[in-house]
Amino acid sequence: MTERLQNIARKIGGPLYSNRRLIEYYWQRTQRNKLAVLGLSFIAFLILLALIGPFFTLDPTLVNFEENNLPPVGFATEESVYNIYTDEFTTTEISGTWKHPLGTDSKGRDMLAMIISGARISLQVGLIATGIAITLGTIIGVLSAYLGGWADNILMRFTDVMMTFPFFLLLVLIVFIFGPSLALIVLVIGITGWTGTARLLRSEALSLRTRDFVTAAKALGASDGRVIFGHLIPNVASLIIVIATLSIPGVILAEAALSFIGLGDPTTTSWGIILNSGQQSLDTAWWIAVEPGIMLFLTVLAFNFLGDGLRDAFDPKSNI
Amino acid sequence: MGKSWLRDYIIKRLIYAVIIAWGIVTITFVLVRVGPSSPADKYLANMAASGQDVSQITTAIEARYGVDKPIFEQYADYMVNLFQWDWGWSFSTSMPVIDLIKTHWIYSFQLILLSSLFAAFLGILIGIYSAVKQYTKIDYTATFLSFIGISIPNFWLGVMLILLFSVKLGLFKAYYDTTLPLFSLENLKALVLPVITLGTGMLAGYVRYTRSAMLDNLRKGFVTTARAKGLPERTVIGKHAFRNAILPLFTIIMFDLGSIVFGGAYLTEIVFGIPGLGQISFNAIFADDYPVVVAVTLIGTFLILMINLITDVAYTYLDPRIRYD
Amino acid sequence: MGLETPSIPRAIFKVMNNTILGVSHLKTYFFTRRGVVKAVDGIDFELKRGECLCLVGESGCGKTVTALSILGLIDSPPGRIIDGEVRYNNLDLVKCSPTQLRRIRGKEIAIIFQDAQSALNPVFTIGDQIVEQIRLHLGMKYTEARDKAMTLLKEMGIPSVERAMSYYPHQLSGGMKQRAMIAMSLSCDPQVLIADEPTTAVDVTIKAQILDIFHELKAKRQMSLIFITHDLGVVAEIGDRAVVIYGGKVVEMAPVSKIIGNPKHPYTAGLIDCLPDISKTTDRLASIPGTTPNPIELPQGCPFHPRCHKAMEICSQQQPPEVRISEGHEVSCHLYQ
Repeated sequence: MTERLQNIARKIGGPLYSNRRLIEYYWQRTQRNKLAVLGLSFIAFLILLALIGPFFTLDPTLVNFEENNLPPVGFATEESVYNIYTDEFTTTEISGTWKHPLGTDSKGRDMLAMIISGARISLQVGLIATGIAITLGTIIGVLSAYLGGWADNILMRFTDVMMTFPFFLLLVLIVFIFGPSLALIVLVIGITGWTGTARLLRSEALSLRTRDFVTAAKALGASDGRVIFGHLIPNVASLIIVIATLSIPGVILAEAALSFIGLGDPTTTSWGIILNSGQQSLDTAWWIAVEPGIMLFLTVLAFNFLGDGLRDAFDPKSNI
Repeated sequence: MGKSWLRDYIIKRLIYAVIIAWGIVTITFVLVRVGPSSPADKYLANMAASGQDVSQITTAIEARYGVDKPIFEQYADYMVNLFQWDWGWSFSTSMPVIDLIKTHWIYSFQLILLSSLFAAFLGILIGIYSAVKQYTKIDYTATFLSFIGISIPNFWLGVMLILLFSVKLGLFKAYYDTTLPLFSLENLKALVLPVITLGTGMLAGYVRYTRSAMLDNLRKGFVTTARAKGLPERTVIGKHAFRNAILPLFTIIMFDLGSIVFGGAYLTEIVFGIPGLGQISFNAIFADDYPVVVAVTLIGTFLILMINLITDVAYTYLDPRIRYD
Repeated sequence: MGLETPSIPRAIFKVMNNTILGVSHLKTYFFTRRGVVKAVDGIDFELKRGECLCLVGESGCGKTVTALSILGLIDSPPGRIIDGEVRYNNLDLVKCSPTQLRRIRGKEIAIIFQDAQSALNPVFTIGDQIVEQIRLHLGMKYTEARDKAMTLLKEMGIPSVERAMSYYPHQLSGGMKQRAMIAMSLSCDPQVLIADEPTTAVDVTIKAQILDIFHELKAKRQMSLIFITHDLGVVAEIGDRAVVIYGGKVVEMAPVSKIIGNPKHPYTAGLIDCLPDISKTTDRLASIPGTTPNPIELPQGCPFHPRCHKAMEICSQQQPPEVRISEGHEVSCHLYQ
């Protein structure tokens, strides 16, 4: 019986934030998807790591050439040292120590500390840039659908142009011209990344616009702003959540790719930057490239799992 | 059934494409020119380093490249030249931009072509199989692996492939060898790692799209009709269901093709040192060589616009129900 | 318009064996997340040569699933034929190999679906879809098959056949699509034709025209027909015998005259009461109270008892046995024990 009620509630599509029962229902459906739960757990772990991790680790910027290129715990490498007095190479085996559980980089910085600091950056970039992009996309998409006519036409043509622009090249160009700072990177990704959201929300809002509760709100004299923010946007909330979750990995990857090709903010230790330095020492210290990549991969995977699970939960078609 | 409306549509779209391309060239041009450094700066730095008198040379160089004029004039010159098929002069490589592009496009093309073929062929095959075997172990495995495929950052995958196959196993070279003849087995071998790097994400995407498009169609009435006609299962799935699944799939594959030109392909070229358009535009950005940057952006944009147009036109043949007016 | 007469004299078969298709104890269940749907739960009937057998019942009673089960067209998963047999020419279609089944589908037993709109493939032309089937079973060359397809379309009353062949389904009207569908199913001269509510998705005037086609099929081809419908009016017009199905079970089986004139099962009687009678002016149409049972939790005993105004205590406890009222008239009801 309750399931039936929930089904009805879902069909009516009440605003998500004001409907506890609906949220609980979606939560239950999401929980059914084990991979989504796994993804969510990893994201929660990552957030915790980024928030409190830095208090327990070494300083990620601390350079120490005495202990550079140390392998992670449980691994060992060989290092050839040239002895100027005897004029010969001596090979020593170096094993990882618990002082640096994930090893150190070529400057002797602690990998664990750098990875955790990188998590902070990736999450910041992912959340803020997605936030900007989704906000812009929602406003443009819903406005376009609500206003219709020439306004809709102009906004959608503009979206088309933005979609045609070689996005990554633009990113590289702007960051190169104005200098690599994290704030700029986040801003550019956010400002250019709204097009998909706008398109999707426009079509969703178009179908909502003719629904009875919108007509009723207008008939009762609600202002345009009230209809848009009070009725249309709350009703596309579930879609926004899904799009946001599925956009975050792309944004994180864009920042990482940018850093990887040498345009990262040099004052940070983002995963992409670590990867960049790791690529240069693949033959001496493989872990420098491997570790941040694994974290990047797992983070993206976690968001994809969660996003997919959320979409299944929100999508009535998957109810069969 | 004539398609006379299609010609008008194509013309309309071509005009539209030219306008958008012009807009994007303008934006890029402005972006490049408002940059804090002038192309002459790099030369001057080099000159100064070799102990020459900078002040005399400055004006000479700036006049040579036309960068002493006001930006609007430069822009007008550039556009006029562009219409005369003069794409400008590349400062950093000392050759006409058009020649630079002529020598380098093939490297991007072969990479993108091979990766797309590899990804589309395998992806569609696995996707169909996965859909037909929905809710079996094979399907779950394919779905799980496709998740991993779409989540793995391709530049990292490239680095890992180099680490494993070049550094550790020594099976492949870490860097692309540009001296190889294009149509040779060695060249193909050199492209194995880059193609896997670029293709894996696409492959995984295609598995997911194909699976979902096939699932949408496998339970349709016409599939039951096809079975009721006595057709073998191969025909039912490969012809009747797949022919309908192609419709959404085709759009996605073409869209992907447009977006990888400056996404994945760009990064893959950099990781493996393939001297394609991505690599030269990347180098050009760092060298302040703006004619190359603008030209490559223009080519990329035009390519995307053309792919979109081709997609829409081809779609009218794939789906007889579609009409654009 | 002259339909071809089949080359094999049917009379010889009639002497040998009068039954062309026999369905017995057929059980088709769907295994869903919510439970087991017993869509068809032990159905028996026989189709005689040259007769038109109507399967009658409300939507969801299992008529269509029965038809699909005969040809092994149930989507699996979730559906599965768990018991019973479908006899055709000494062959059990439930147990025979997929290859054997494929040779029968479309060639020996053809099926017409309710909604031609979704049953025709939207991306192939009508001509290609018919030609495909002809070439598959009759091994004809393309031009030969094309000629045959055009002849068939002409017989179905489709104007300007030449052009119609190159049309895609969306370019044809609903009635024309249904005709093309019928032409396709007849393309290999099947022995048995199953028509699944062929008149439901079209409007009234077209319905009459489609029914005319079936009349002609009966008259000229002596086609053995299984006609599935919920419309007793159609049954009266076209049927020889009728099988009334409720909750996946046969409740009554009789020649059409007896079903209409002397229904025994309260459900059949109810269905007939629901038929509008234009000669009487009443305020409202009669209806059977209640709704079709949830196929996951079919009621104990007789599946109809919760809606039956003649229900007795025993009805909710025991499955009613099959009772023979007269020659060829059987009913499953506790009233007639």
